[in-house]
Amino acid sequence: MKQDIKICLPLYKLVYSVMFLIILSLVRGISTVFEIGGALDSNIALLAIVFCAETYVMEKSGGRGEIFRLFPVKNRVKAVRRRLLIQNLYLYLLSYIGFFFFFWQRPQNMIGISFWYEYGTYMLAVTGTILFWSTLSMTISNLFGNQWGGIAVSLIIWMVVNSMYGQDVLGKFNIFAYGFRNVMEVHDVSWLFGKLAGALSAMLMIGLIPYIMKKRG
Amino acid sequence: MMININDLTVTFKNKVTAVDHVNLSIGSGIYGLLGENGAGKTTLMRVLVTVLKPTSGSITMNGVLYGEQNYRRLQKKIGYLPQELNLYPNLTVRECLEYMGELSGIEKRECRKRIDFYLEKTSLAEHQHKKNRQLSGGMKRRVGLVQALLNEPKFLIVDEPTTGLDPEERIRIRNLLVDFSRDRTVLFSTHVVEDLAATCNQIAIMKKGAMIYSGAVRDLVSEVRGHVWICTVKNEAQARELETKYHVSAKQYVDGGLQMKLLSEEKPEVECALAEATLEDAYIYCGQFQSL
Repeated sequence: MKQDIKICLPLYKLVYSVMFLIILSLVRGISTVFEIGGALDSNIALLAIVFCAETYVMEKSGGRGEIFRLFPVKNRVKAVRRRLLIQNLYLYLLSYIGFFFFFWQRPQNMIGISFWYEYGTYMLAVTGTILFWSTLSMTISNLFGNQWGGIAVSLIIWMVVNSMYGQDVLGKFNIFAYGFRNVMEVHDVSWLFGKLAGALSAMLMIGLIPYIMKKRG
Repeated sequence: MMININDLTVTFKNKVTAVDHVNLSIGSGIYGLLGENGAGKTTLMRVLVTVLKPTSGSITMNGVLYGEQNYRRLQKKIGYLPQELNLYPNLTVRECLEYMGELSGIEKRECRKRIDFYLEKTSLAEHQHKKNRQLSGGMKRRVGLVQALLNEPKFLIVDEPTTGLDPEERIRIRNLLVDFSRDRTVLFSTHVVEDLAATCNQIAIMKKGAMIYSGAVRDLVSEVRGHVWICTVKNEAQARELETKYHVSAKQYVDGGLQMKLLSEEKPEVECALAEATLEDAYIYCGQFQSL
């Protein structure tokens, strides 16, 4: 586990991920606390895409691909799943803390809406977002055999899904339905369907890892 | 351990034939694989390591046929040090080897014992807590060798392990390979003839994907005996003339002119004497004049 942490969380990744959230909090204007979640949800997906794309393909780009292929598939799969978990846990923690980076803008609380309820729903939403996009990016990278293919295709999907067209087509099953919701309708949690769909898709992709490894090496 | 390669061909999608109907038998001990850059050595090794599938032909290892259904069984017996291996830069030597041992499926306690043993043998014990990125090129190769040996392979394949190393480090790696070949088969590829001359009794030479020689080193050298000549020319013009007519394997300024070593099937038409043939001469002769 210690080695996997060092492998998938090198210093440069920690730095750029924190900088990403800091810069986002500086450039994305918000006036109320309840806008922060929407601002973060779709953008943290971009970070997850880039952060996790090379989870497995780093072995090939790092010049260890041939050695790695000699290890039993089940051990390789375990290592990749461990790395994905470590990266996910880090991104969850970062995004939970990153929520408060926006507070320098002194956002207003809205009367009648509990801050902790809003923060709790944000945590749930962003967890589903990170889980889906990190797994998608890694899976597509594995299929292409390189991280740039994974990032490119994931970004295209992100653009489609994060658009009005995507919202119209997917509705409450849109992974970003949380960001499209009406914040005034506090008890509307239909966006959860999107996160659930995302989580189930992620589980499916995680289950496909051994087959992709056998097929693609 | 006996590896038999029968009529092996590897043709890539771009129609390049990297391995062309190769036949070879590799027994125990250290076996050299020599060839220029692009001869097909690495491709052959990648097939032996099960990373690449051949287009046609077959390979057996102790009677077990290379095929997907047997890959796992074969991989347990193989250790591989590829030409380019970048170990995890942020891990220490020890961490890296323990990680790779775990991925191999070696039990932790046994893995630690093996790591201790091989770190001692490769003089890396005092560097085991350094990060891989802090190591010199030679040390990295030695770590690479240790990772290839962790699962106690019966067939160790090392692809150009001495490339780019200083003479001292090259000798160290060569000596380690000889030590480690005691109870196993080692296939050692290089384009540095000196390395094979110092370590191998059996050798195979590849050129443009084909096997042009396989057999004992002394037999190869004896084939070129009588075709290596030493002559001294007085000036550059004479030297250039000889270079157009014969293959020059060495030249050196000496008192009295330019001493040249020529490879020729017939005695050259200059005053010359027969010279002692080396493996390098034999390799050049083999590639230039005939397949032996």
